[in-house]
Amino acid sequence: MQRSVSSLSLSPSVKMKLVNAGFQFTADLLHLKPLQLSKEASLTQQEALEVLQTVRREGGGGDEGGGGGGAAAAAASASLTALELLQKEEEMKSIVTFSSQLDAALGGGLPVGKTTEICGAPGVGKTQLCLQLAVDVQVPQCFGGVGGQVVYIDTEGSFLLQRVVDIAAAAVQHCSLLVEDDEQRVAMETFTVETILSNMFLVRCHDYVELLAEVHLLPDFLSEHPRVRLLVIDSVAFPFRQHFDDLSQRTRLLNGLAQQLIAMATGHGIAVAMTNQMTTRLSGGGQSQLVPALGESWGHAPTIRLLLHWAGSRRMAAIFKSPDHRGATVQYQITSEGFRDAGQSEQPPSKRPRTQSVEPAGSQRDASR
Amino acid sequence: MDWDQLELNPRIIASVRRVKLKSVREALCVSGPDLQRLTGLSRSDVQQLKTAAAVACRRHPPTPAVLLQGGYSGLRLSVGCPVLDQLLRGGLPAGGVTELSGESGAGKTQLALQLCLSVQYPAQHGGLDSGRSSTQPSTVVWTQVGPVPSPARWSGLRSIPSPPISRSSILYLSFHCYLGQRFLRVLSILALIHGSFLLHSSTARPYHPSHATLRAYHPQASTQDVSECASLSCVSLQDVLSVCLSRRVPLLLARQHVRLVVVDSVAALFRSEFQASDWLERSKQLISFSHTLHTLSLEFNTPVLCINQVTDVFSSDDSLGPVSGAVAPALGLVWANQVMVRLMMRRLQGTVARGDQSSTLRRLEVVFAPHLARDGRDAAVWREGVLGVARSDYNTRTDV
Repeated sequence: MQRSVSSLSLSPSVKMKLVNAGFQFTADLLHLKPLQLSKEASLTQQEALEVLQTVRREGGGGDEGGGGGGAAAAAASASLTALELLQKEEEMKSIVTFSSQLDAALGGGLPVGKTTEICGAPGVGKTQLCLQLAVDVQVPQCFGGVGGQVVYIDTEGSFLLQRVVDIAAAAVQHCSLLVEDDEQRVAMETFTVETILSNMFLVRCHDYVELLAEVHLLPDFLSEHPRVRLLVIDSVAFPFRQHFDDLSQRTRLLNGLAQQLIAMATGHGIAVAMTNQMTTRLSGGGQSQLVPALGESWGHAPTIRLLLHWAGSRRMAAIFKSPDHRGATVQYQITSEGFRDAGQSEQPPSKRPRTQSVEPAGSQRDASR
Repeated sequence: MDWDQLELNPRIIASVRRVKLKSVREALCVSGPDLQRLTGLSRSDVQQLKTAAAVACRRHPPTPAVLLQGGYSGLRLSVGCPVLDQLLRGGLPAGGVTELSGESGAGKTQLALQLCLSVQYPAQHGGLDSGRSSTQPSTVVWTQVGPVPSPARWSGLRSIPSPPISRSSILYLSFHCYLGQRFLRVLSILALIHGSFLLHSSTARPYHPSHATLRAYHPQASTQDVSECASLSCVSLQDVLSVCLSRRVPLLLARQHVRLVVVDSVAALFRSEFQASDWLERSKQLISFSHTLHTLSLEFNTPVLCINQVTDVFSSDDSLGPVSGAVAPALGLVWANQVMVRLMMRRLQGTVARGDQSSTLRRLEVVFAPHLARDGRDAAVWREGVLGVARSDYNTRTDV
């Protein structure tokens, strides 16, 4: 397979000169000396040297058979059959959310290798779900979890250690009650609040440029830490809803960000969870509607979209965009232990009593600590 | 940031300079192919450029959360009452914006005044150690929009003698005798803008400075300072607050004298400045205002308390929150998205008595917070301040 000159990573002007001089494929360049090349393509010595080095490095050598059309090129556009893709997908595990109804609706939990967006009004539980996922991704594999680490990007300052410790302790408690055999017992030794916190890599970003910088440098971080299985960005909307002079620039930046996140999700096999805010959209007739922020084009970026909303005094989670799952709505609640099914109370006290009377939940919680 | 500070091939830096990319941050906001077209560099060069820019722009690499323990993430400002502190699991968090909303007369300003006191305590008593030695001025930046708290409210709080009534827009409180020249200069400059302000301290008398007074008070005041006052005096309250928040307050915070910022009240500020038809402009200003507050709070690890009013809720299918009552905090969804902790103070039916004092019962509730349960505590406003009441204290109580 011949590799064309335009696919080399050179500057566009150099490529133009090469093509104009008649060099279409890298094979044409292989046997030239720098002086010859610079004369024929009217490049400087330096540029000619660079071209030949690039060709040698990336061209792979046309002598090594047709498949040597650049190892880099081959890796970049490796083709898989649909059957291989299906097998790969079935191997991908999901991250449980500890709410069995939501897990059932999502087909096991938050899927690894895809980007998911969680949107909702303030206070409905988006950060709680993100914190729960950050703890759940670390559940050992013998308990049905993924056993991975997490990178948590916090742009709002809502990552409070007090709460993370609560959720982590509850998860450890939950798993320790399920221990049945030796393998699980051994795994529990490495699943403690301390280790959970040490497997969470926290980044705090104060504005959108820092967020873009962090996402740009993440692929290197992920290569150094192959155990990372989840990336949480809480929230994407907050830094991007500042005043932008040029809204089209915001759209461009968001699209670029989305592309990078999708590339990381598929390339490194991680799940990406992002939080979004809600905004009001006025439609004709004076009606207003709550829609996810950041615009229509951002809506195409995540693979799966979850909408958390209130229905009266109940919290509901709806899947409103997903290629694999039916749009379902389930009820959930936020307890002192984290994100749970509604109506479930494994261990009293629950954080939110269903009747209006105030239970002394606070004092009981303090007593148990 | 200077391009020379990055570790890059000089050739790349030269081409970046040639294209006049203004700053390192710009390089991150332009996509890879666009940069290639602009600078004429190859893809790997552009990749290097972006990586170097990203390394320069990021604050810190991802760190394990376990290292946060015992650090600033757990800093809380006590409210001054153990019952209410238990509700808030320690107090106001130091790294985000807390909102306290409620009807008029609910006790919001009273609670905020109490916070101004507790911030002065040393850390082991729940304060933020902002009252250090008596030679250092310690202040709370209090930006008041609307009527000043009347002396009757003040007189009960410890160690604050009652100030004379005066309509003022900015009130700076200083609890120690010494007021640095610098502070006075800041205050007088702001005074000039508003035409009047109230300075309270145990030694200085309240006064209303004019141009001449400013000059007289600060013979070192340069012509630039005076002209700065003059040029700022004709802009709107909103612009002044943005200037104040973007320049003066960061200076004060950076010197670590100020450990609490209170804005009383946000709603009055935005409702008075904008007509109903200017809602787009109002949203923009609101976002930039709250963003500034949020950035200040995170940068300097200082709690920021914003007091808000309430509006009536007409339709019951408001999916912004659970159906909780006839009123909701003002300023809508735009503001609600910027707030980290939302508290609400309500007046209840019934009174509670203690000794010779009696007070209408209030309730302080957590509407949402990342680390708090949706819970509430009853409270009452006494001469000593806002204190939570335990159930056993009730004389009469009606559940609402």
